[in-house]
Amino acid sequence: MAVAQREDADTALRVAGLCKSFGDLEVLRDVSLAAHEHDVIAILGASGSGKSTLLRCINLLEVPDAGEVHVGGELIRMRRDRRGQAMPADRRQVDRIRARLGMVFQQFNLWSHLTVMQNVIEAPVHVLGLPRREAVDRAHALLEKVGLSDKLDAYPAHLSGGQEQRAAIARALAMEPAVMLFDEPTSALDPELVGEVLKVIRDLAEEGRTMLIVTHEVGFARDVSSRTVFLHEGRIEEEGASRAVLDAPRSPRLKRFLSGERYGTLPLDQSSHNEGRSGP
Amino acid sequence: MLDLRGYGWMLWQGLELTILVGLGAMALALVLGLIGAWGKLSRARAGRWAAGTYTTVIRGVPELLLILLVYYGVPTLIQDIAEGAGYPFIIDINPFVAGVITIGFIYGAFATEVFRGAFLAVPRGQIEAARAHGMGRALTFRRIVMPQMWRFALPGLGNVWMVLIKATALISVIQLEELMRSADIAARATKLPFTFFFVASLFYLGITIVSMVVQRRAEVWANRGVRRA
Ligand SMILES: Nc1ncnc2c1ncn2[C@@H]1O[C@H](COP(=O)(O)OP(=O)(O)OP(=O)(O)O)[C@@H](O)[C@H]1O
Ligand SMILES: [Mg+2]
Repeated sequence: MAVAQREDADTALRVAGLCKSFGDLEVLRDVSLAAHEHDVIAILGASGSGKSTLLRCINLLEVPDAGEVHVGGELIRMRRDRRGQAMPADRRQVDRIRARLGMVFQQFNLWSHLTVMQNVIEAPVHVLGLPRREAVDRAHALLEKVGLSDKLDAYPAHLSGGQEQRAAIARALAMEPAVMLFDEPTSALDPELVGEVLKVIRDLAEEGRTMLIVTHEVGFARDVSSRTVFLHEGRIEEEGASRAVLDAPRSPRLKRFLSGERYGTLPLDQSSHNEGRSGP
Repeated sequence: MLDLRGYGWMLWQGLELTILVGLGAMALALVLGLIGAWGKLSRARAGRWAAGTYTTVIRGVPELLLILLVYYGVPTLIQDIAEGAGYPFIIDINPFVAGVITIGFIYGAFATEVFRGAFLAVPRGQIEAARAHGMGRALTFRRIVMPQMWRFALPGLGNVWMVLIKATALISVIQLEELMRSADIAARATKLPFTFFFVASLFYLGITIVSMVVQRRAEVWANRGVRRA
């Protein structure tokens, strides 16, 4: 794991020794990982292996119990409260860093009282302080890129899932983030809508965006990502160049996972793709 | 046509006063309701305790009693305390202010529950998305939570308003010549209770009908972007 520890000028994101528990449940155990600029890292793992928690710790939606997160060389400073619970030392730093990390959620989470255009300009205007004019121009370009130019004034409730997710991607891109974080961006979609979203993400990869993508789409990970990280029970079980790792997995767990996923992606088994956290 | 024996103008002024007390009290109730909901949802135990006490007291004590308590009780209490401390003075609460404060205080407790429910109805994921885009807590509340809270809160707040406006009749007991008291005075003077109480009823009903129309419009506005089921 020496690779993950190297701090180069072009390290866009680095986490080191990340640990997170919910009560007695250890969800992340000493996870370290670095993304250089233009890296596309796929994160695979069984349900409950801690993939979402890893992404959420990176932008502090969950506060890690231990470990470091560096974004563009800047360490997110942490401190401990009286009970010894870790917490961010400076909330404004967290807000600032979050603005540089674009997050795309499984459930889209578009703001339902705002139109597509308003969703995309909201954070640039109110967080970055971009003049509305510029934000609107930027939004036009991005919505065109994700193929939503005809839906500018639509409210999220009037969009298909695929359109909602593409709007959410445009919303994240509008912040011009250094790194994009995708948490199973297609898992909540009907099978026929998955392709349009994957295509947008593929285009972003080709542009050289730095991205971390949690996904169950093994074929997509293999084609699009440069590196793959396989999580098992909160540990990195295997990682390496995506082709190598996915075509010739070494660890038995990854082998088993990959043979299972082949069935898992059949439309018949969509249930395993839904959010359900309610146990086995 | 009803013959109001020259008391029509007085009733009209009573109506105006009722509406003013109602609006003032509603404004206060909204502020207290937001603060109360904030307290109830707060992570701090003191906040939850204060808000819980507030709503329990209001639920447990009759409104009329609260009005008498604020108008007659509180000034006396303050005077006694002041006198005990060696600073005798007389306070005279203006009945209008007493009415607004009491009614606002009572219905603030109901608004607290409405706002609490409305806050919880805003999808968590949307709040997370706001935070993930670098929006701070205050900004998230102002730009993402508040606008959506109105949608969930409006039906409940509409109810609070309708009950509140009727409850203003109670403050006729503190000599404020709002609609109820004006009708009462006119009825006694003319010995025509049916006429004046009937007209007053129509006035209250009129307020309610206008309120319903306004509420309907407000709900359409607040529900923009929501697909009709
Ligand atoms: N806020 C929370 N409180 C308690 N437990 C949690 C919380 N969030 C996640 N967990 C638990 O942590 C474990 C890892 O969850 P996580 O969502 O990171 O898994 P995942 O790899 O993303 O799974 P999936 O593929 O189902 O999305 C699960 O057992 C989950 O139930
Ligand atoms: Mg997950």
